[in-house]
Amino acid sequence: MKQQAYKMFDASTIPDDLCPIATKPTPMLPGDWRSMRPVVDRAKCVKCAVCWLYCPVQCVVERPAWFDFNLKTCKGCGICATECPQRAIQMIEEAA
Amino acid sequence: MGAAYETIYFKADACDGCNECMSACARAKAQSDDQLQSRIQIVPSGEGFELALCRQCGDPECVLNCPAGALAKNAGSGVIAWDGSKCVNCLLCTVGCAYGGIAYDAQAGHVIKCDMCAGDPACVKVCTTGALKHVKTARIYNEVGNLEDLFAPGLSGCQGCNTELIMRHTLRRIGPDVVVATPPGCIPGMGSVGYNGLTGTKVPVFHPLLTNTASMLAGVRRHYKRMGRDVMAVALAGDGGTADVGFQSLSGAAERGEEILYICVDNEGYMNTGMQRSGCTPYGAWTSTTPVGERAHGKTQDAKNLPLLMVMHNCAYVATASTAFMQDLYDKLERAIEAAKTGFAYLHIYSPCTTGWRFPSDQNIEVARKAVETNFVLLWEFNPRDGLQLTHPAENAKPIDEYLEVLGKYRHLDPDQVEHIERTLANNLARIRGFAAAKGTASAEAGRG
Repeated sequence: MKQQAYKMFDASTIPDDLCPIATKPTPMLPGDWRSMRPVVDRAKCVKCAVCWLYCPVQCVVERPAWFDFNLKTCKGCGICATECPQRAIQMIEEAA
Repeated sequence: MGAAYETIYFKADACDGCNECMSACARAKAQSDDQLQSRIQIVPSGEGFELALCRQCGDPECVLNCPAGALAKNAGSGVIAWDGSKCVNCLLCTVGCAYGGIAYDAQAGHVIKCDMCAGDPACVKVCTTGALKHVKTARIYNEVGNLEDLFAPGLSGCQGCNTELIMRHTLRRIGPDVVVATPPGCIPGMGSVGYNGLTGTKVPVFHPLLTNTASMLAGVRRHYKRMGRDVMAVALAGDGGTADVGFQSLSGAAERGEEILYICVDNEGYMNTGMQRSGCTPYGAWTSTTPVGERAHGKTQDAKNLPLLMVMHNCAYVATASTAFMQDLYDKLERAIEAAKTGFAYLHIYSPCTTGWRFPSDQNIEVARKAVETNFVLLWEFNPRDGLQLTHPAENAKPIDEYLEVLGKYRHLDPDQVEHIERTLANNLARIRGFAAAKGTASAEAGRG
């Protein structure tokens, strides 16, 4: 890199914490926003992955014979239940 | 990670009972014209029709019931295969199945069931009403499903946010060797850049101004290159930050052919700050700055065609995409990633906004699908060598009402306004077709390829 024609400032005077860099992901989990919860009928699930494809928070987790949801992050939008080609997902009300 | 499997989707209200699928199946599987030999059966039920077809269940009853081990689920394809040499014709499998998916065929003298035609079902190919669909999502899942989601698990996008869906899919595919720029808008607003000393992204991310996203990112990419590091530079920006406020820096970077991938997530307005209109808001739409009342009836101007503007910059790659057509989106993303290694790649992805457009969150993908099916959104791609090509057929578009009526932001439209929208869409299509007909000839000479 080229040298500066004249020194504009003394870089050693910049404090180390002037521009902190975040390295820890936010622990916020939006699961408690939910008023409706998806429930999979395991007998109907054929593992086509449509719920996974369209889930905005990507909270779909794979089990040996069906797909399930991580309810810590599921916001309860209901897209999976609407899009499921086998109608295997139902939205039920969260208990008060 | 196991595997996902392809499936056949039956949309009962689209079926007209023509039974072509049964004929096709009988021909393909039994070389017969007898529909009773078809593995798929359409059964009249009340006013409509029901489907009797093997679902290739995840935990199949038929396999459990079979005492002879003649039925087995293939872990690779998901298909439950019948082995004639082991079958003892006890028909217990037919008792267990709740879907009528396996049945005795008197002519063949044994049970018959669907085998998905080795991934190319004959029944779906002959269905003209769209009642049968071969769902191939599994292919995407098996390819990218185990790539890490590079955003934090908790982002505060609205319920059913299409933008969050786009972010997670695109960044996962792009991979961890990346620097992401997210100018003000919903994307950093939902926490992707993080707050309170925490980050929302597992890769380096920064928050440029609305105005300088493309130029700042170009500088970052150039510096990485100078340091000898092959790091992808990606912008995830909204339509306001792209089409309006950030346009001059975007235009400059595109003109210089900077090696960046610019993804515009178009939710047709400044949704993060309270749903104000943008240059991409369509005619007639309600926003908080184009209100609806006694005199005003939504936006009075048409949206600017931003992706087409990018084509005029002769970028290395330009494409429009929709989350309702994910395979198409992934294909385009792949080409955009490749193009961004040597030139400017621009992806314009439509993102229905459940909060700002006023529709129920579970309808998000359906809205995105209708937008494409009614030609409100045209899917195409462009590169200087091949020119512009439509990637989703624009013929046989559904009437525009089917799209407008599901959105609260169009609830007030009067017939004149609908007519205006129809005219605009027809003009858009004619223009795009004009570009498609012109191919890549003249532009290829000047193009950077």
